Amino acid sequence: MENPTDTLPSLIPATIIQPESVAELGDIVRQAVGRKDAVFPFGGRTMIDFGLPPTRSGIGIDLRSLNQVIEYPARDMTITVQAGITLAELQKILTKENQRLPIDVPLADLATLGGVVATNTSGPRRYGFGTLRDYVLGINVVNDQGHEVKAGGRVVKNVAGYDMCKLYIGSLGTLGIITQVTLKLKPRPEEHALAILDCTPQSLGPVLDQLHVSRTRPVCIDVLNQAAVRAINQQNPGLLPETAPWIVIVGFEENSQAVIWQIQQLVKERYQTGRGLDVRFGSAADPPWQAIIDFPHRPKANLSFKANMVSSATADFCLRVGTLDPEIKIQAHAGNGIVIGHFVDKLTINEAREMLKQIQAWATADQGNVVVLHCPAEWKRELPVWGAPRADAWLMRVVREKLDPHHIFNPGRMG
Amino acid sequence: MPATTLSTLIERLRKVVGPEGVLTSQSDLLVYECDGFTIEKNKPDVVVFPTSTEDVVQIVKVCNELDTPFLPRGAGTSLAGGCLPVGGGVVIALTRMKRILHVNCRDRYAVVEPGVVNKWLSDHLKPHGYHFAPDPSSQGACTIGGNAATNSGGPHTLKYGVTVNHVLGLELVMPNGQVVHTGGAAEDQPGYDLTGVIVGSEGTFGITTKLWVRITRNPEAYRTLLGVFETIDDATNTISDIIGAGIIPAALEMLDQLILQAVEAAYHFGFPLDAGAVLIMEVDGLEAGLDADAERITQIAKKNRAREVRKAGTESERLLLWKARKNAFGAVGRLAPSYCTQDGVVPRTKLPHMLREIHRIGTHHQLRICNVFHAGDGNIHPIVLFDERDADQVKRVLTASQEILEECLKCGGSVTGEHGIGVEKINFMPKLFTPEDLMMMTRLRSAFNPEGRCSPGKMFPTAGACIEPSKAGRKAAL
Repeated sequence: MENPTDTLPSLIPATIIQPESVAELGDIVRQAVGRKDAVFPFGGRTMIDFGLPPTRSGIGIDLRSLNQVIEYPARDMTITVQAGITLAELQKILTKENQRLPIDVPLADLATLGGVVATNTSGPRRYGFGTLRDYVLGINVVNDQGHEVKAGGRVVKNVAGYDMCKLYIGSLGTLGIITQVTLKLKPRPEEHALAILDCTPQSLGPVLDQLHVSRTRPVCIDVLNQAAVRAINQQNPGLLPETAPWIVIVGFEENSQAVIWQIQQLVKERYQTGRGLDVRFGSAADPPWQAIIDFPHRPKANLSFKANMVSSATADFCLRVGTLDPEIKIQAHAGNGIVIGHFVDKLTINEAREMLKQIQAWATADQGNVVVLHCPAEWKRELPVWGAPRADAWLMRVVREKLDPHHIFNPGRMG
Repeated sequence: MPATTLSTLIERLRKVVGPEGVLTSQSDLLVYECDGFTIEKNKPDVVVFPTSTEDVVQIVKVCNELDTPFLPRGAGTSLAGGCLPVGGGVVIALTRMKRILHVNCRDRYAVVEPGVVNKWLSDHLKPHGYHFAPDPSSQGACTIGGNAATNSGGPHTLKYGVTVNHVLGLELVMPNGQVVHTGGAAEDQPGYDLTGVIVGSEGTFGITTKLWVRITRNPEAYRTLLGVFETIDDATNTISDIIGAGIIPAALEMLDQLILQAVEAAYHFGFPLDAGAVLIMEVDGLEAGLDADAERITQIAKKNRAREVRKAGTESERLLLWKARKNAFGAVGRLAPSYCTQDGVVPRTKLPHMLREIHRIGTHHQLRICNVFHAGDGNIHPIVLFDERDADQVKRVLTASQEILEECLKCGGSVTGEHGIGVEKINFMPKLFTPEDLMMMTRLRSAFNPEGRCSPGKMFPTAGACIEPSKAGRKAAL
């Protein structure tokens, strides 16, 4: 699959080193510190343009050679792997034991585990399975002194010491270079199915409210607008129904009896609130499911954002954002209050700023925020890439100052 | 503490919270000399009861001005000395900050003060069909603030996760008196997950004064099974096989013969007293498909020579079974005047080996050890029985505990799954972590607690060295 960020080299320096071992990585970091160079770790570069551009120069570190499985005690349902392994490779290894990491990752062939952890990537299944903070048991990082240090452990329950793993997840490589991760795993479900519900602007809110109290227990409740469906169908003709202004995709994963019952129950509940329901069972559910996992990376856009809010606000927020631009593509993980939007290639920076201001106001009113996922590099200094300032931002800076006092790890990336 | 400083401290704290919010008499302070870990004790100089965030801010400021150490305390049910006032100072008891401030079922969160008792929240949510998932056995007494400080677990964390998986945001009074609000009701707030690392910091980052917690829909149905086994080996092999088969029950708990005697005498559930061990195995979720899961588990138990697998027939029978399990520690008093419990974790496949080791270590030190624990997580709770009036026994208890935890580490595990490091396991930190690992943690602590005045003497061997008191509460035995 095409890597949409290949054309954005600005966040990676020209000099790139690819260490073959953690010891070599440690040396590279120590030497960089000695030269007062910054270091910019990367993996598959699928999220490389997320965040602000570097404030200092330095060297890029390609971690993809650190891709070994350290230990896979399958019967304990944990695995310890190096951070450079791709998600596709990791899942392939786990599938052999009928296990998985239930975190949805776009472009899994390219994305590395270290990158996924550093960006705290998640997708549609987060409604049923949570996010990386629920699966990472231990992390090793190379710190500012070039030492490999560890946090957490290899067992499923452990409260010894501070859980620094939580800090490294989503830290965008600003606190150290992630070299190794221990994960808690889940069994693969016996059965899965997707139900696709057509919605009008009037019915979207009630449908989501109904799903919230449904007797079924979905693992995914995703929303797509018509423009998003069309973009998906361009690459996979006929994959999703295109006629409704909005669709809600509801996923189930459990033993077969439970999945069958839930689909039947959903049909029953659906006929109380409206019509239009399309069910894909088993392997027929895989292509649309994969499409909504990869979607955040598909559209060609010059401004993509991710908003968070309390989940009850999702429908109204989607409808409002939809009015800003007839061609905007919207996807929401509605059960979690996460909305991702892509504006097409015709915004000016001033328009982008105005749009973000408006979207920001809506998200903030519902206890959330908005971050820019993607925009032209030259806009980054002008736009609120990290959203409205948070009240705890000063403490985050103090934490970073303590863990990276010489500002060597991805300086400037998180503002 | 010099008498003049103490009287100034008391006077100033009384101004903050009123005379009814300050305890100073020796008999009152006795209650606060330890938590559930009774081997080490030390009285605080003062106990103060704030009723608001502003009170906590003022208390912390007074302590700073008088250079007095302070630490938070909930219900004191912790089991590792987490709220032991090492070197005295001020215990900030949060039990009067006990309001459930807000419940929002549609958005699945609640906002609570730290002194809210864990079970109160679930009871409050019951009519709405929700609960707070972390369910430590002490849930009838322990506070949610304390759960967050120690990142508590409980029987049902096997499926639902530990406390940190259910905390969305915090209001924290930092050790310098500054108030910070991390995370919030909405998921994925931009920036570092400070909430995630404050949870489990055992009161060394400040005083939590408000929590945004996730609330969980109640399962539609349960199947609760009691597997009866002739031997501990058969029971532990069953656990290992259930997990190995890819089944994650809601809870998977083991009780051995010795603890069964005590629990049966106390709760009259009808446990078979001649069994080597029993497993409580619970699956929950939708009614549909639940029997299939229960049947798979039953088959695995039978394959491992279970004498019988009983099903809790009614909800009241299920509740009695859980009451017996969760109050098992309370029944230990029937076996010995004192007990000390450990909290090691091993990979789940190592449980059979670990239980044999516990038995061997107990025999070697002539100590009776009973076991009741979160088997599905590999989280053991060997309860070492003794009489604290007998110094030689105390010494043997400490040695045996040490050996058990060493064995957990040898198996690739941890010395604590849910109780925390506290003061009890400080000496294990250098065995679990390298000096560089520990340095990263102390650097992090210095971001929150640079002067070490909040919860000194906890978590790290060198913690708060600059103000380490001469009158230490630590015993040489450790």
